[in-house]
Amino acid sequence: MNILTRRSFLSHATRLGLGAAMASLTDVPLVLQRALAEGSIGRPGLNGRVRKLLFLFLRGANDGLNTVIPVGDPAYYSSRPNLAIPDDPLQPASRIGTAIFPESGNASGIYAHPYSLSLGNGFAGLHPSLKFLSPVYNAGDLALIHRVGYPRQSRSHFDSQAYWETGAPSGSGTKDGLLYRAMLESGLANTSPLTGVTVGTSLPMILRGSKAAMMNIGDPTRYGLLSIPNTAAAKAKMSAALESADRARFAGKRDRELLELQYRNLSGTLDLFADLKFAEADNTFRDDVATDGDTDWANANGGGYFLFPTNNDKNGGWKRTSGNRADKYVVPTSSYDYFTRLKTASILLNDTDAIVSGVSIDGWDTHSNQVDDKNTAAGLGAHTGSHAGLLRRVGWTMYALQKHFTKYSNKCHWDDLVVVTLSEFGRTSIENSDGGTDHAEASVMMVAGGGVRGFEPDALGGVRRTGVWNCGGDGDRVVPWMTGPTGSMFRASGRYLQRNTDYRSVLGKLIRDHLGATQPQLDRIIPGYSSPEDSLASKGVQSRDNTTVIGEPEVV
Amino acid sequence: MALAAVPSVFADSGSAPSLSASLRTVEGVERLGLRFEPQPAIEAYELQASPGLGLPFQPVPVGPSDFQWTVSLGSDPAAMYRLEARGLDADVLWGTTLLQRIAYGPTPDELDRVRRIGPEAYLQEQIRAEAVPETLDVVDTAPRWQKVVITGTGSSSKLYIYMDGSGDAYLDDLRLVAGVGDDGSKPNLLRNGDFEASLAPDWTLSSNLVSSARSASIVHSGDASLHLVSTEAGESQSSSIFQTITPSLSASQTYTLSYWYWTSDKSARLTIRLSGSGIASTHDLSGSQNNPAPLFGKLKTAQATLADLRAWHVLRAVQSPRQLHEVLRQFLENHFVTEYTKTRDYFDGRGYDSPLPERLAVRTEFVENQRWREVLLRPAVTFHDLLKISAESPAMIIYLDTVTSRGDGKYVANENYARELCELFCFGVDNGYDQQDIVEISKVWSGWRLELLDAANEFNPLAARSTNYVNPAVTGSALNSNTNVVGVWGFKYRTDRHNNAAKHLFHEWDANGNRLGGKKVPDRFGAPWAGRDYSLSLPARSGNAGMQDGYDTLRHMADQPFTQEYISVKLCRLLVHDGFAHGYDFTDAETSPEEELVHQCMTVWETSTPKGQLRPVLETIVRSDLFRGHGGSLQKIKTPLEFAVSTVRALRVGLSDGSFSAETDGYGLYNFMNRAGRMRLFDRAEPDGYPEDAGGWISAGTLAERLRFIESALMPAGMSGKDDAGSNTRVNVLGVLQSRLGTDGIRDSGRVADTLLRLLFPAEGKANLEAYRKVAIDFLDTTDSGTISPLSSLTVGSTAHDQRIRGAAALLMSTQRFQEQ
Repeated sequence: MNILTRRSFLSHATRLGLGAAMASLTDVPLVLQRALAEGSIGRPGLNGRVRKLLFLFLRGANDGLNTVIPVGDPAYYSSRPNLAIPDDPLQPASRIGTAIFPESGNASGIYAHPYSLSLGNGFAGLHPSLKFLSPVYNAGDLALIHRVGYPRQSRSHFDSQAYWETGAPSGSGTKDGLLYRAMLESGLANTSPLTGVTVGTSLPMILRGSKAAMMNIGDPTRYGLLSIPNTAAAKAKMSAALESADRARFAGKRDRELLELQYRNLSGTLDLFADLKFAEADNTFRDDVATDGDTDWANANGGGYFLFPTNNDKNGGWKRTSGNRADKYVVPTSSYDYFTRLKTASILLNDTDAIVSGVSIDGWDTHSNQVDDKNTAAGLGAHTGSHAGLLRRVGWTMYALQKHFTKYSNKCHWDDLVVVTLSEFGRTSIENSDGGTDHAEASVMMVAGGGVRGFEPDALGGVRRTGVWNCGGDGDRVVPWMTGPTGSMFRASGRYLQRNTDYRSVLGKLIRDHLGATQPQLDRIIPGYSSPEDSLASKGVQSRDNTTVIGEPEVV
Repeated sequence: MALAAVPSVFADSGSAPSLSASLRTVEGVERLGLRFEPQPAIEAYELQASPGLGLPFQPVPVGPSDFQWTVSLGSDPAAMYRLEARGLDADVLWGTTLLQRIAYGPTPDELDRVRRIGPEAYLQEQIRAEAVPETLDVVDTAPRWQKVVITGTGSSSKLYIYMDGSGDAYLDDLRLVAGVGDDGSKPNLLRNGDFEASLAPDWTLSSNLVSSARSASIVHSGDASLHLVSTEAGESQSSSIFQTITPSLSASQTYTLSYWYWTSDKSARLTIRLSGSGIASTHDLSGSQNNPAPLFGKLKTAQATLADLRAWHVLRAVQSPRQLHEVLRQFLENHFVTEYTKTRDYFDGRGYDSPLPERLAVRTEFVENQRWREVLLRPAVTFHDLLKISAESPAMIIYLDTVTSRGDGKYVANENYARELCELFCFGVDNGYDQQDIVEISKVWSGWRLELLDAANEFNPLAARSTNYVNPAVTGSALNSNTNVVGVWGFKYRTDRHNNAAKHLFHEWDANGNRLGGKKVPDRFGAPWAGRDYSLSLPARSGNAGMQDGYDTLRHMADQPFTQEYISVKLCRLLVHDGFAHGYDFTDAETSPEEELVHQCMTVWETSTPKGQLRPVLETIVRSDLFRGHGGSLQKIKTPLEFAVSTVRALRVGLSDGSFSAETDGYGLYNFMNRAGRMRLFDRAEPDGYPEDAGGWISAGTLAERLRFIESALMPAGMSGKDDAGSNTRVNVLGVLQSRLGTDGIRDSGRVADTLLRLLFPAEGKANLEAYRKVAIDFLDTTDSGTISPLSSLTVGSTAHDQRIRGAAALLMSTQRFQEQ
C-alpha cells in the first residue's frame, strides 16, 4: 500500500481542484486522520493521561456583578439598593490575603453568612453562596475572570449563545460548534467512540457539526440495546449474533470503513458503559474531610458530604441524627437533576476516553425577584433567592469536582482537567424595579482545574499572584476597574459593564495551552484568532467596537 | 501453475476480483489456498480450473467460500485456476438502487413490481409524479366496516372497551386468539365476541356505557353487532364494557386481537385493550388511522401541532406512491431550511396566546411545503420556481430576519438572508460573491415583511392588511389588534421600509468604493460559462416597483453557473454519494467521474428550455454510471428519517384483510430521529440543513439509538422497550414472510433467512450475504439461552416462533449493511 502523507494528500487534493474543501482533516481517510492530525488534543501526556475539558453553560445570562462583586466600587452599591451584597465588616474586601471561607461547623446554616466573601485582592468579593469556591481558590486552582464578552455584544439569548457556541457572530457563516471543531482537529472524531459528549436533553450547538456525530446522553442507562423478548438472555444472544455478523467481509464502499469503526466503538462502549457506575445506588462519592466543619451529620462515618447531591439524603448535612435540617442543604433541592447530569459527565471524563464534556444549568435569566428578601435592612437578605440558589450549584460543583477528580481519579485527574463556565452575557448594572436585572454585556467566566494558574500566597501571608482578573488590584492586569457612576460598570453604551477580555481569548488559551491545539489549529477552531483587529491573542483594541482588551489571560 | 481472473462483470468498476494464492503441505498433500476480495453485487462466485495451458476451464466443486477456498493439488501440478463471478442483473441492480435513493427504501411489493416493470418504467413514473394517482390526503367519509388486527402480549385477563368521550360506535366480530395472526380457525378466547347473544352475562356495562346495546341494523356478520353508546370518557374497568377472560391469559404469551368497526366522521376515539400494558388499540373512527388524510385536514385549517406536521410528513414518506416527490420535498425543506421555534416565537410576540403561535408557525411550514409539492408536479419545474417559494415564505422571512430589516433612510439592512441566499441557497460558500455583494443584496431584501391578510390575498404582497374583524364593534387600537383580525399571515411588501436606491450586484469595486465593471465567471467553469459578465444592476425604484428588486435578483441568481454547480453537487450528494466536491476545475485535463457528472448536470441545466429545469438534471444523475454502475449501489448512509421510514417500508406488505404488515402512526418515529442525531424536522436552528454525509450521523451513540429503534419497532405490542419506536409503530414479520413463503416456508430457517436477506439487502448480491445468512439461520435455530432448537420444531403462531423470527429480522436490520442505501 502507498503511504499517504499529509503533504502528498493535500497536493493531490489541490490538483483536483478541491483546495478549499480539503482544508479540513475530515476528507482524509479515517484511519489516517489521527496520524495526520497536528497538535496533541486527545493525546496522552507524559503521565499517560489525556487533558480534558468540562464546560458548564449558565444559560439565561449570569449576573456577573453579583457573582464576583466589585465591592470597592461605590457605584455597585448605589446601583443596586436591593440586590447588593454588603461588604463584611469583619473581613472587608479591602484586605489582602486568601479568600474567606466561613465554615459553618455543626451549629449554623451553611449559607447563613450574609456578607460578600473577600477574595483578598483588596477590592473584590464573592457572593456568599459561592463560599465553596474559596477552598478551590485558595488552592490556586481557580481563575475568576471578570468583564468577559465579545465585540458588538448581542443582547438576544439566541444570538449570543450562538456566538459563544460557534465562536463567531450569528450570520457570519460559521455554523458548527467551537468545541466540535476542536474535536475534529484531534483526528479522533470519527474513530474514537467518545470525543465530545454532553449530558442533557440534546446536543448543544457548541458540539454540533456535520462532519462527525458528537454525542449527547440524556440518560446513560439508555445506552444499551434492546432485544426481542427484552430479556438478558435474548440480549446476549442478539449481541453475540450481531458481533458475528459484524465480522463478515464485504466489498469496499465509501462509508463501510466508518461503519465498521463505529460498530466496533459501539460494541466497545456497550461493554464499557455496562461497567460504569451510572446508577444512583453507586453514587457513593464523598468528600475526604468533614465538609464545612460539619462533624455530626448523620452519614458522617468519618467522611464529608456527598459530592453529587442527587437527593435529600445526599444533599449536604440535611440528614442528621437529631432530625433533618433544611439550612444544611448544600444546594437547592431543585438541583438534583443537574447534579445527576454532572455526575454522569464526571464519570464519562474519568472512566472513558472522552475529551470534552459539558452540562447546562438553566434559569439565569433573572429579570425579577433575583433575591428573596429585598427589603431587609442593610441588604442583609440579598444573599438568598433564585440567583443565590443558582450560584450554590456552581460553587458546590467546583468544590465537588476538585475532590472527585483528586480522590477518585481514574483516567482523568484534577491536574488534567479544566472546568470552564460559559454564559451568554451579563446583566444590567442598575437593578430594575422588579428586583431583578436585565440583559447587558460583560460577565464573569470561571476556570478551575489543578493546572490553573490561580491564587498564590507569598511567604508572608500576602499575595504573590491573585486568582482574580479584571476586578481590582493586580487582578486588573491591563485595564483597571474604574469606579463611580461613569466607571467600568457603565462604560458600554453608558449602561453596561464593559468587557476587557474576549471569551474567545479564554477558550483559545485553554484549547491551545491546555487541550494541546497548535496555533494553526486554533486559527481554524476560532475563526480569525490571529487577526490583529480582534486582539484575541494579545493585548490591543478590538476594532469592531473600538474596545481595549487584554488578549489571552494567563490562566493555564 | 498460474492464476488468472476474468473481469467480465466488472466493466465499470475497473477492478476484477483477483485471486491470491498460497501453497502449503498438509499431511504430505500439497494444498493450495485461494483468497479473493469480495466484489459489489455478486450473485455467485465460482472457482474454475484448467488442467493446463490451452485446455478449457471447468468448475471446481468447492464448499461455501467465505471468499477463500483450499483445493488439493493432487496429481495435477500444472493446473490453472480462475475466479468467475456472476453479478446481479444490471436492471435489477439499477431498479434496486432507484428504490433506495429516489424512494424511502424498497417495500417487498415495490421490489417485485420494479423487477416486473423494469427500472426504466419505474424511473419514468417517479419523475412524472403528476401521472401517478395519489389520494393519501383525501379523507374517505363513506361509512364502511373496517378491520383492526393487533398482536401483543397478554398482560392480563380483563378486556376493556371504551371511548374517549360521549358518542357512539358500532363494533362486531371481536376476536382474541392465542399466537400470532388469526385466520379464523383458532378458538376465540372471548365469549360472545360476535355479539350474537345478549350482552349479559359475558359483557359488563359500566354506567357511562349503560345505554350500549346490540344492534341489528348495522351488522358486519350474523344478526347483530355491538352499538356502543358512551356518555363520558372511559379509562379503566369501572368506565368500560369489560369481560374477564377464562381461562386466564399468560403474560409471557402472544395473542392476536382483531375486530371490525363501522367508520364515522365523528371525532371520537375507540379503545379496546387488555388491562395493563399489553395489547391495546386506540384510534379514531374515521377509518383512516395511520393515514395522512386527517392530519392534512388539520394542517389545512391551521389546527395542527408540530407533532402533527411531522407525523404527516413521515406518513407520506412511508405510504406515498410518489416517492421521488416525497424525497424531493424533504430535500427542499432541508435546503431552504427554516426553524419552527423562531417562527413560533415571532407569533408569540404578536399578541397571540397558546396554542395560536404554535399553530401559526406550523401553518407557515405547511404552506411552503404545499407550494413546493404543487410546483414539483409541473413537468417543466425549475429551480427558480422553488427558490421563489422559499423567498416568499413567511417562515423564511422570519428565520433570516428579513421581517425586521429595513433599508429606508438611515437604516442599514440586515444581511442574514442576503448571505445565506448566496452561500446556502444558490451559489455555495465563497463561490462568485463577496461581502460587497451581500451588502447590495441585503438592500434588495428590505421591505419584505409580513402582514395579516385576507385569505384571498395570502399570496398578494401588495394587499393591505385585512379589515375582516372578529368583533367590528371594538374601539381604539384593539379593533386592529392581531387577535381581532380574521386572516392569514403572508408576505407583505412594505414600500416605506425599502431601500429605493439603485443597486449593483456582482460588480468589482476599488478600495475607495468606486464601482468598476461587472464580475466575470471564473475560468475554471470553461465554456460556455467562463468569462461571462454576471453583474446585475437594479435601477432606483420606489413604491411597489421596489419589490421587483427581489424578484429580479432571484431570477438572476437562479441560473448562474455557481447555482448550477452548487445545486447539482447537492443533488449528486443526495442521490449518488457524499464524495462530490465544490470547486472543480472543469478545464483541467484530470477529471473524475464525479466532476464529469456535475458538469453534465450543469450542461443540462444550462441548455434546457426554460433554463434550470429540475427533471432533466435528476434524470442525468440517476442514469449516470456512478448511479447505475455495478459499484454504485449502497454508497450512502441513511439519515435518521430515511432509516426510520425505510425500516417500516422494508417489511410493509398489503395483507388480504386490507391492513398492512408494517404500520406507523407517524408520531412514534420523532423521538428516535431526535435521539439519533437531533434530526428535528422543520425545526433546525442552523441554516445549513441536515447533513447528507455519513460522518454527520454515525457515531457509537447514534448507532445505539438506531439499533434500539429496530428492536423496538419489531417488538410486539406491550413488550418493555416498545416505547422507543412508539406503541403505534407495529411490524408483523410473520405476515410478511407468510405472504412470500406460505405456511410451510415459515418453519424453514433457511427459507426464512433467504427471504429476509432478499427483502432487506436486495442490492448486495446473494454470494456476498453468505455470512449474514449463516448468522441468521443460527439465530433462528437457537433458543435465547443458546441451545439448539430448530425453527421447524416450533408451532407457527406460537410466541416462541413469533419472537424467533422477529428477532432474526431485527438482527439483520441491526447490521451495518442495513444502514446503507
